[in-house]
Amino acid sequence: MDNKQKVDRALQLISKLSIDKASQVFSKMIKGGASIEMDKAYLADITDVTQQINENSDEVIGAFVRLVGDAPFKFLFFVAPEDSFILTDMILRREIGTTKEFNAYTESAVQEIGNILASAITNVFSADFQIMLYPSPPTVVRDFAGTVFAEYILEAAAERDEVLIIQSKFLVVKNNIRCHMYILPVHDADKTLSQIASSM
Amino acid sequence: MGKRILLVDDAPIIRLMLKDILEYSGYEIVGEACNGMEGVQKFKELKPDLVTMDIIMPEQDGIAALEEILSIEANAKVVMVTAIDQRESLMKAIRTGATDYIVKPFEDERVLSAVKKALGEE
Repeated sequence: MDNKQKVDRALQLISKLSIDKASQVFSKMIKGGASIEMDKAYLADITDVTQQINENSDEVIGAFVRLVGDAPFKFLFFVAPEDSFILTDMILRREIGTTKEFNAYTESAVQEIGNILASAITNVFSADFQIMLYPSPPTVVRDFAGTVFAEYILEAAAERDEVLIIQSKFLVVKNNIRCHMYILPVHDADKTLSQIASSM
Repeated sequence: MGKRILLVDDAPIIRLMLKDILEYSGYEIVGEACNGMEGVQKFKELKPDLVTMDIIMPEQDGIAALEEILSIEANAKVVMVTAIDQRESLMKAIRTGATDYIVKPFEDERVLSAVKKALGEE
C-alpha cells in the first residue's frame, strides 16, 4: 500500500469516527430520535468536484470552520435551505414545519451544527491520535453551492489537488436530511496524516 | 421574582435554548449579549446574580470577559458554556475563577443543576 492509499485510509477512518462522535452529540442535542450516518468518504480531485458543484445552481446554507493546530484543516458543511429549517426546529424542539424562512435562529442552528461537527472531528484527532486541533468560530454562508465551494477551496487549491468529501445523512424521524461535508487539509496537515497512516 | 441571569453567547439559538430552560424554572433573564465586551458592559449595567458565558466568541472571548467581570465583582457567579472539545480553555476558565461549566450540547437538567449550584440553591 503506497503512502497516498495509507493517507486515504487514515482519512476514511477519521471520517467514520468523527461522524459516529457527531451523531452521538447531535442525538443528545435534540434529545434522541436522530442520528448522522456516513454514506461514503473519499478523496476527490478538486477540479472535478468544483466542476460538479458548479453544475448545481441550488442555494445552500452552510458553515466554514478552520481547524487550527497540529494538522490544520478547513471544514465545510452545507444543507439545502429547507433542510436548515427542519434542523432549526429540531434543535429548538419545536414541531417540524414551524420555521418557514431563514432567520437569525436558522443561521445560528447551522453555526452550532458546524461547531458540533468540527468539534467531533477535533475530538477524534485528539482522543484517538493525540493530535491537538482547535475549531475556530464557524462562519455561516448562504449562497449558491458553487460559490460557497469556490470560496472554501480558494486558499488551498494552489497547494493541493484533492479534497476529502464526506457524504452523510442526518436521519430524523420521517426526515432524511442530506448533508454535505468537506475536509481540506491545508499547509502541513499532510505530514501529520502520513504519520497517522504509518502508525495504522 | 427569580434570580436575575445574564446570557452571554454569540449564538442566538443557544441563548434562546438557555432562556427557555431557565425561564421555565422561574429565573429572570435580565439581558443578553453576543460577545464578551458586550457581556462585561451589561454586567456593569444590570448587576445580575449570575452570568452564563460562552467561551469562544468574536470581539472578546469568554475567558477575557470572565477576568474583567471578576475584576469588577470578585464574587460574581459565572457559569461557562463550552463545546465538547475545549477542555484546555475550560480548565483555564476554572483557574480564572469560573463558578461552574456546562458542556454543549446540554441537557436541561445539567443547566439547572449548574445554575442552582452556582447560586447556592442546591
